[in-house]
Amino acid sequence: MLDVKNLTFRYPDTETTWRFTFQVDHGQCIAINGPSGSGKSTLLNLLAGFLTPESGTIHWQSRLLNDLPPWDRPVTSLFQEHNLFEHLDVQTNIGLGMHPGLKLSAEQKQAISRGLASVGMAGFESRMPGDLSGGQRQRVALLRALLRDQPILLLDEPLTGLDAEACTQLRSLLLRHKAAGKVLVLASHDAEDRKILADKQLNL
Amino acid sequence: MRQFPFGSTQAPLSHPGWQIGPGLIIAGSLLALTIAGLAALLWQAHLPEVAELWQNRYLGNVIRFTIWQATLSTALSLVLGLLIALALARQPRFRGRSLLLRMMELSLVLPTIVAVSGLVGVYGRHGWLTSVVEHWTTVRWNLYGLNGIVLAHVFFNAPLAGRILLQALESVPAPRRRVASQLGLTGWWLWRTLDWPAVRRVLPGIAALVFTLCFTSFAIVMTLGGGPASTTLEVAIYQSLRFEFDFGRAALLAIVQLAICGAIWLFMVRRGLSANLSPQRSFSETIRRPDGQGITRLRDAALLVCIALFLLLPLAAILLQGLPGLVTVAVDGGTSLADLAEATLRSFAIALPAGAFSVLSALLVLALAGRGGPHLARLSSVATAVPLMVPPIVLGTGLFLLLRRSLGHSSQGLALVALINGLMALPFVTQLLKGPLAGLDQATAQQADQLGVLGWYRWRWLHWPRLKRPLALAMAYGTGLSLGDFGVIALFGTPGQPTVPVLLYQQLGSYRMELAAGTALWLLTLLLLVFATFNLPGYRKRKQSRHQNDALNTLAEARHA
Repeated sequence: MLDVKNLTFRYPDTETTWRFTFQVDHGQCIAINGPSGSGKSTLLNLLAGFLTPESGTIHWQSRLLNDLPPWDRPVTSLFQEHNLFEHLDVQTNIGLGMHPGLKLSAEQKQAISRGLASVGMAGFESRMPGDLSGGQRQRVALLRALLRDQPILLLDEPLTGLDAEACTQLRSLLLRHKAAGKVLVLASHDAEDRKILADKQLNL
Repeated sequence: MRQFPFGSTQAPLSHPGWQIGPGLIIAGSLLALTIAGLAALLWQAHLPEVAELWQNRYLGNVIRFTIWQATLSTALSLVLGLLIALALARQPRFRGRSLLLRMMELSLVLPTIVAVSGLVGVYGRHGWLTSVVEHWTTVRWNLYGLNGIVLAHVFFNAPLAGRILLQALESVPAPRRRVASQLGLTGWWLWRTLDWPAVRRVLPGIAALVFTLCFTSFAIVMTLGGGPASTTLEVAIYQSLRFEFDFGRAALLAIVQLAICGAIWLFMVRRGLSANLSPQRSFSETIRRPDGQGITRLRDAALLVCIALFLLLPLAAILLQGLPGLVTVAVDGGTSLADLAEATLRSFAIALPAGAFSVLSALLVLALAGRGGPHLARLSSVATAVPLMVPPIVLGTGLFLLLRRSLGHSSQGLALVALINGLMALPFVTQLLKGPLAGLDQATAQQADQLGVLGWYRWRWLHWPRLKRPLALAMAYGTGLSLGDFGVIALFGTPGQPTVPVLLYQQLGSYRMELAAGTALWLLTLLLLVFATFNLPGYRKRKQSRHQNDALNTLAEARHA
């Protein structure tokens, strides 16, 4: 269980202090609601360790995450864009999620190819992100997140700006991931996303 | 389910100490070396001798001449540079514009001693132009002395100033330039609204830069000075050390030079002028200026053609006079050929380590700035700027005084030359690598952090792809700078064991002009070879991975948007 208690954060030289408290169980998705600027992305960055909270705690399986650097946290982030290393090809992008030095076994390489085929991108291994459409890029990013196999997935507007077909496909991937027992934290403007994916809501 | 699988211990060299430690050691050694050199100077220069500065007429003359020639050279370079920049800004569609810009870039890598031999070939006693002018008119002109020194300084610095000024002119925001274009502003008003504000920002910085370069120039004054009447501080230091063995005086002069250069440097830093003085290779979109038509256009074209000739003629002289010289040497063989071959090997034995040293130190010291706090960032910028503050000959003098008793074998002297050459290249190499190394955008850095792409892995997958071409260029730059160095080697080398520039100097000094031209051409060829060797693999690869570069470009654009 992901347990966030009285987590507070304030950007330097600003007045507003944000405060977050919520719990999510395995196999659940919590949707973070609120207008722009209400701190949705801030919360996700706090969970990922990109920002440091003023006070409060983040627990995962009763282990305190606050002091862990981003690379030691059991989370993977998926943003609306800029999820890929633009100068590396698709296979390398996914592979770096499986081993940070790209030391991959033959099975892991096969897993990448299978994963690409399963999202309709068979044979895209050596393509550069710049050559892909927005939907394809997001599929690659999600594939990396899934193959990385971390228990918590942080989604920041992951489907915004994509066409209907890509949305449907990505949603079904996320649902499958959730069914496998992962925790999803979703920040999205889209009511449809929330309706299909979320089990509970957090209003900011 | 795996939990916390990617510990920071997984990536080799990912401990923060690895990012800071080596850089800290290098930066510390650079500072320690400089301080040791300066301390040796102070210790050698006995205080009573300070009075010599105003009592000794020779020394007074040296200081006065140094300042006078530098002021004159700076003024002429800036005026000519501004004329070039304005003409280029007015004529964005001038035929051969990009070629001219490339030629103006050349002055950054052309060894002074090679350029001097080219200038001698055109303006010297038996030079092309001199013969033509003396045949048709009664004008008589002597290259040696103030004339030659200023001419050579303008040859080097007017293109430099021109490039930076052009960049400033073209950096005026496009909307403002469009308005000026629409209003049809010309002449005085265009200058006041558009050009002067842009130029004013960079002018003091360029003036300080060019003045420092002219103030500390060595090879040009050595070869074109022609007598005690036109000696500068640098040359006087060299003479005190190598011929008069008056170490106290050398130290005193070095301190004077340090004081003047340091004051200029401080002035630059105080006013925040040191940033962005290195010419960039990209120029912004061209918006037609209303004043580029009619008679102005003809005048600009004439000016640009003259400038092109001014830059081209000495190079042509090297090529045309050097080719027969080189052929003679190659065909005759004998000692000339053996001398040249030996000097070439010696040059590379110095230049390659010097280049590698400068690139490696630049990388490590730059890594400090990225990873540490503000203190380390300051240490990093100071350490790489030290060679700009402390002229190489001053540092060299200090180290010479410090080490002269223990420098037994000549190879130790050469190692010291390589070290100081590497230091000289450091500021430029740093400039080349800074952007690409710091250019990781936040999204990429966060991704890498989350995935645990740290330490060696981060270097391999994130930095190396971006850095390999700048690194190759930096290596070529550092090596090239050392290959063409004449100042430091003159101080530490022995005349019997010359590098190629020293050989060239010796041939120029004994008026063996054909041989000298051949050597100059050879040195130029070596430089081209260095740049080609380090950069060609990149070009071939670039064709294959065009997509990759497109991706990089779009990334860069995305960041602006």
